[in-house]
Amino acid sequence: MFLQQLVNGLIIGGIYAMIAVGYTMIYGVIQLINFAHGEIYMLGAFFAVTFISFLGLPFFAAFLLSMICCAICGMFLDVLAYRPLRESPRLAALITAIGMSIFLQNLAMIIWGSRQKPFPHGSVPAYFGQIAVTFGGVNLSWFHIFIFSFTLVMMLGLHLTIKKTRWGKAMRAVAQNQTMAALVGINVNRVITYTFALAGALGGAAGILVGAYYNSLYPTMGYVAGVKAFAAAVLGGIGSVPGAMVGGVILGVAEALGAGYLSSLYRDGISYAVMIIVIILIPAGLFGKLIKETKKSM
Amino acid sequence: MTPILEISGLSKNFGGLKALQNISFRINPDEIIGLIGPNGAGKTTLFNCVAGVEKPSLGKVTFTKDGQATSIGGRKPETVTLLGIARTFQNIRLFDNLTVLDNVKIGRHCRYKSSIFGAVTRSRSQQAEEKAIAETAEEFLAFVGLKGRGGEIASSMPYGDQRRLEIARALATEPRLLMLDEPAAGMNPMESRELMDLIERIRKKGVAILLIEHDMKVVMGVCDRVVVINHGEWLTEGKPKDVQNDPKVIEAYLGSGAANAA
Amino acid sequence: MGRLRIQQLSRGGKIRIGLLILVLILPLFPFISDYALHIAILIFMYMILALGLNIVPGFNGLLDLGYVGFYGIGAYTSGLLTIHFGLSYWLIIPIAFLNGALWGVLLGAPTLRLTGDYFAIVTFGFSELVVLFLTNEIWLTRGPLGLPGIAPPSIDLSWLGGPKWEFAGEVPYYYLAILMVLVTVFVMYRIQDSRLGRAWFAIRDDEIAAVSCGINLLHYKVIAFAISAAFGAVAGSFFARWVTFLSPDMFKFWESFLVLCMIVLGGMGNIWGVMVGAVVLVSLSEILREILPLLGLPVEVRFLVFGLIMVIMMRFRPAGLMPIPAVAAKMKAGQVKRKPAVATAGSKK
Repeated sequence: MFLQQLVNGLIIGGIYAMIAVGYTMIYGVIQLINFAHGEIYMLGAFFAVTFISFLGLPFFAAFLLSMICCAICGMFLDVLAYRPLRESPRLAALITAIGMSIFLQNLAMIIWGSRQKPFPHGSVPAYFGQIAVTFGGVNLSWFHIFIFSFTLVMMLGLHLTIKKTRWGKAMRAVAQNQTMAALVGINVNRVITYTFALAGALGGAAGILVGAYYNSLYPTMGYVAGVKAFAAAVLGGIGSVPGAMVGGVILGVAEALGAGYLSSLYRDGISYAVMIIVIILIPAGLFGKLIKETKKSM
Repeated sequence: MTPILEISGLSKNFGGLKALQNISFRINPDEIIGLIGPNGAGKTTLFNCVAGVEKPSLGKVTFTKDGQATSIGGRKPETVTLLGIARTFQNIRLFDNLTVLDNVKIGRHCRYKSSIFGAVTRSRSQQAEEKAIAETAEEFLAFVGLKGRGGEIASSMPYGDQRRLEIARALATEPRLLMLDEPAAGMNPMESRELMDLIERIRKKGVAILLIEHDMKVVMGVCDRVVVINHGEWLTEGKPKDVQNDPKVIEAYLGSGAANAA
Repeated sequence: MGRLRIQQLSRGGKIRIGLLILVLILPLFPFISDYALHIAILIFMYMILALGLNIVPGFNGLLDLGYVGFYGIGAYTSGLLTIHFGLSYWLIIPIAFLNGALWGVLLGAPTLRLTGDYFAIVTFGFSELVVLFLTNEIWLTRGPLGLPGIAPPSIDLSWLGGPKWEFAGEVPYYYLAILMVLVTVFVMYRIQDSRLGRAWFAIRDDEIAAVSCGINLLHYKVIAFAISAAFGAVAGSFFARWVTFLSPDMFKFWESFLVLCMIVLGGMGNIWGVMVGAVVLVSLSEILREILPLLGLPVEVRFLVFGLIMVIMMRFRPAGLMPIPAVAAKMKAGQVKRKPAVATAGSKK
């Protein structure tokens, strides 16, 4: 029982981590809580289902195409909504982010309807449901293993991208100091937009995985997941990518164990409570540096 | 005479960076002290340490008012203001969306105490307070030469007037020590002359002044003594004339490429 | 206090008095249906909510995403006190006010020292926890079943040997709501024009300069948050006794968003603007509620329009339809083009 909960927690936590890195990367480069990130996650799931049912694509092809579409959505979000507000007070950008979130959620409701939808019958590979490994009374399906390895590969790839590539260095430079980054010849706006694309692709992938895992998608699914992932990002220390990964996993496990042993009614409440407590007691999170926004210009 | 402000052994580190090292000097109650040094010497950091915005890593800052000495290193900025130290900012910080008069009224804030109940009921004491706040605020405006301009929006005033408004707001907190961070920056020669006159008049009110300034005409014109810091260290201090001809000072400035001191 | 003389009033003042008289005699017109009165009461209630919320983003420049939490606390407190103890509404109003303020202090004191973004997200988490609590603590709130049968307010003069008169129909609520709006506006105006209000505006415009003027940021932010919460709770207490039924669904994030949208649209920080925002958005919401089903869309979709309004306002007119006077003056002089002026806390100066 305990082990099963732990495994469930790890799986869900990995998915939270994938969404959380999106929040954290975007916060890192433009100090904005991108409330609409949860909606990109939701769109990921809906795009995948649409590609499967209307284009007849196989699962993995739809998965990939949907990730690409989410990356494009992320870029559009930045260029249309946030870029015009770069010089505005943060409150304006934050309100825009909330507005976009609500807008996208309702747009999805108009396009796909407000009811829960399953993945089209037979679209998810059949072997996903089969048990792959059993140890200590815990059953792991192939889907568990796929989710686990996929998130692992994505996180590792992201880590290497940020640490090793030219683009990753540019992104870190922008996160440090936009003016200086621009002075040394980095196209700051392009870096920011690409960050949105990367965050979007990862968020979209997480949406497809969750949609397929629970076999249910609905337009408001991004709302709760988004808040939880944000809580994970805060727990890890906002702005820190490894922090978001660790935060996601911790939160997933805490939630699974909490729901199993304390009260399943407050399953969502655990994330909110963790978030509030962390913010009050250790606002810098586990890995982050405390951001002193008001003292920047002194 | 007991100095109004005594800084002894003040150091401030930001991580590995030593912004200030072992700085000591004192300001007497009726003095105008210039604090000069090349860019990045740590002048504003020193201001922030005194004003409570930064916490000193080492050393003591002692403020003496009416014979009562208070150690203020690491105190909160609002407490420091309440004790009697006011400041202006290098890049003017006004309340942009408020009127000129309201800006000064906010400076009066710390000398009064009515709050929510007074505000809603407009009790007699609250009304008397509001009247006093408005009247004194007008006086401070007149003092800096902005009489009758109270109704304008702060951010729509010309630059030089904004500087003066910021000084009026600082004076409105009734300080014994006023710290001015580059007040002459961006002013034309006539405005700087008016500023020097204003600084003299502030001193006559019994307010000591610590002045960061790059405009050497202003420094030479008003300061009784000048403290020079370089790379976060105390370099020398003395009469403006002596400091100006001190080879160490000339080297510090020329070495860093700022020629206007020579 | 000076006596009011009509000829001394400015043009704006005359318009406002005229509007008030019109609003006061509105129920006398035969063509005003109960439905119209219902919408009017809804508008008044949202005015109180919007004026209360306005204190935090409009006066202090902080984003509060959990306002509906206080509204919900006020509503359920009012409902439960009525059902279990039969408390008079006139007693419940001050209780709701103090209760809201208490929760505001409890949440605000530890969190208002945080930077604006963190504060926003904490308030959001708080209001979600309130909804979870209302949904799950069935022994107290009956959970998703809702809380029915809350008695309407009454004016009881039996202790004076007079009659006892219970509210029925929309008309008494209409006048009660107007009275509450007037009191709220009165309080807001008085605060706006006081030492407390100036401290808030100073914090909104520049926190560092505010501190240098001797203003204790945390102290004033907590006061702001508590008063804002108190008005939210008072609006909730009215809502409970008016609709006489409560359910946790009524206090979801959407409501916070709608109220925030009102003040963004009307003009953050401007009392009249905020009230106009309430009128426009409640009306728009009702119109959309009629139109959307005709288009075969669920009524929730009206939030698509609200979301779009937020985005467009921030992009093209961030100070709202009725900006605060300083910004309006600057806009007239052409000094502000797109640069939002209100709520510059933590701005990149």
